[in-house]
Amino acid sequence: MASSCEDDDPMIIDRPDYDPTPYSLDYPSYLPIMEIPEDNPMTEEGVSLGRMLFYDPILSADSTLSCAGCHKMEYSFTDERQFSVGIDGSVGTRQAMHIVNIGWMPDLFWDGRSQGLEAQALEPVINPIEMMDTWPNVVNKLSNHDDYPDLFWAAFGEDQITKEQVVKAIAQFERTMISGDSRYDLIVERNEGFFTDAELEGFEIFNTERGDCFHCHGGILFTDNLFHNNGLDSVFPDIGLEEVTGDPLDRGLFKTPGLRNIELTAPYMHDGRFETLEEVIDHYSEGLVYSETIDPLMKQIAQGGIQLTDQEKASLLAFLKTLTDTSFINNPAFKNPFED
Amino acid sequence: MKMKKLLGLSVLAILLITACKEDPEPGTINFNITHKVDGQTMELNNMIYMSPAGHPFDVKRLKYYLSNFSLHNTNGTTFDTEVIHYCEEGIDETKSFYIDRIPSGTYDKLSFVYGLDEDTNVDGGLENTLTNINMEWPIPGDQGYHYMKFEGTYDSLSTGVILNYNLHTGATQGNQNFVEITVDLPSDITIDKNTWEVDMVMDMMEWLQNPNVYDFAEFGQAIMMNQTAQEVLKANGVDVWSVEKVVQE
Repeated sequence: MASSCEDDDPMIIDRPDYDPTPYSLDYPSYLPIMEIPEDNPMTEEGVSLGRMLFYDPILSADSTLSCAGCHKMEYSFTDERQFSVGIDGSVGTRQAMHIVNIGWMPDLFWDGRSQGLEAQALEPVINPIEMMDTWPNVVNKLSNHDDYPDLFWAAFGEDQITKEQVVKAIAQFERTMISGDSRYDLIVERNEGFFTDAELEGFEIFNTERGDCFHCHGGILFTDNLFHNNGLDSVFPDIGLEEVTGDPLDRGLFKTPGLRNIELTAPYMHDGRFETLEEVIDHYSEGLVYSETIDPLMKQIAQGGIQLTDQEKASLLAFLKTLTDTSFINNPAFKNPFED
Repeated sequence: MKMKKLLGLSVLAILLITACKEDPEPGTINFNITHKVDGQTMELNNMIYMSPAGHPFDVKRLKYYLSNFSLHNTNGTTFDTEVIHYCEEGIDETKSFYIDRIPSGTYDKLSFVYGLDEDTNVDGGLENTLTNINMEWPIPGDQGYHYMKFEGTYDSLSTGVILNYNLHTGATQGNQNFVEITVDLPSDITIDKNTWEVDMVMDMMEWLQNPNVYDFAEFGQAIMMNQTAQEVLKANGVDVWSVEKVVQE
């Protein structure tokens, strides 16, 4: 009877042996060690599947919106709009975060409510103002698709597709989205060039307490992966981390975004209030606003900011643009596989 | 508190370097760290203290490295280690560590470096983890890592305005600035393949006094390249630590 049942199950009969190919995640040695979750080892099949899912609107209720609909490659995988728009026209309240080197980010979303890429990917699919689907429906659609059942089998070797497999595949793809080939990397990490005078001045402003950018945006990832009140408001229409922790000490704290490709990711801040990098620099120079949870790293809060000269502002901007990695936004491995 | 959980993820890697070996080998001392201010257990954010210079202040953040631990045997020899420990107030996992495989003998002193010595305090001197990256000291011309980030706010009596302070120590302009510390144990520890608990205390008020009064207002808020401020803190740092209790398990 047992063999008869198995013979009746096309899921088993028609599939090759489960034999995934381990994915070799190569990145420059000056980037940190990336911790890969033990329960989601990277495979060629998993990364490839995750790339398809990232670009496939099948994850949304009416099959019109994919992850890439708000995380667009040309903008370093963020949305050029202040707030992204859901499938029914609903508008969000926070700027889409750009996806660069997020394999090194323990906490996701501006308020850090998800720990790990797998947990993060669970949310947009069922968010009532984003993709507006349900996981049972998504799993059903994928299970009845012409191609996905075989692709999931190749990636995970399980008979049934699950939401856990979906987010694991997306996370595997996202861990490959690594930027380490900007002019900054060439000059500072590989000694293969020189800054212009303006870029060098900007580098020094950034990396000293003159500008004091580095305490939050320091290191090779250009983020401390922590949460800060950076002086945007005196009262907070969006309370940020407090919404997750319930702790008033976390009021108005938001995750430090990485600055790689920052030239491409306008608008800026959690609510996209600044349209240009010039406005961002003006904020830190003379626009800081005091509130009780202001971060102690905002040293010049009493003066409204670090009071940069026009030349210093231009130099800082020039330095920030050295973080642009055009190879990242043109990497064929990150492009829409349905347009190949 | 949620923040502890969030931050805890980021400190995991350094713990693997220092404290979280699989199982300690026989001859172990477990060190437990407590931070105090003027003798009272320090509380982040919610407590106002009075600085020796007369400024009410709070503490919002404290992160630092300890390294080069040595145990002093009463026979005049030392047991030297290469342990480097990262500690952060609010992250309980970082507030304890151990040294194991300590040779049998009787020990009466503990010495260590507050910060990192010149061999370790170079760019890339520590493992490339998220925690260590966040402690980097990127000042052009300098090297290495912050030894300490001690941050909060103080009430400037002259202006009535709440100001931030950042006591960030490290090497600058060729000056290493790490602090060599030796503390007496309250009673001798006799190691014979056994385990002891040692309670270490750092009193943050001592960074602001003895022998020098450190005035937030005098040195301003940006001291990373201020060698005078670094030297004042280095001198004050010699007696910030004590060992309150040793207990054999």
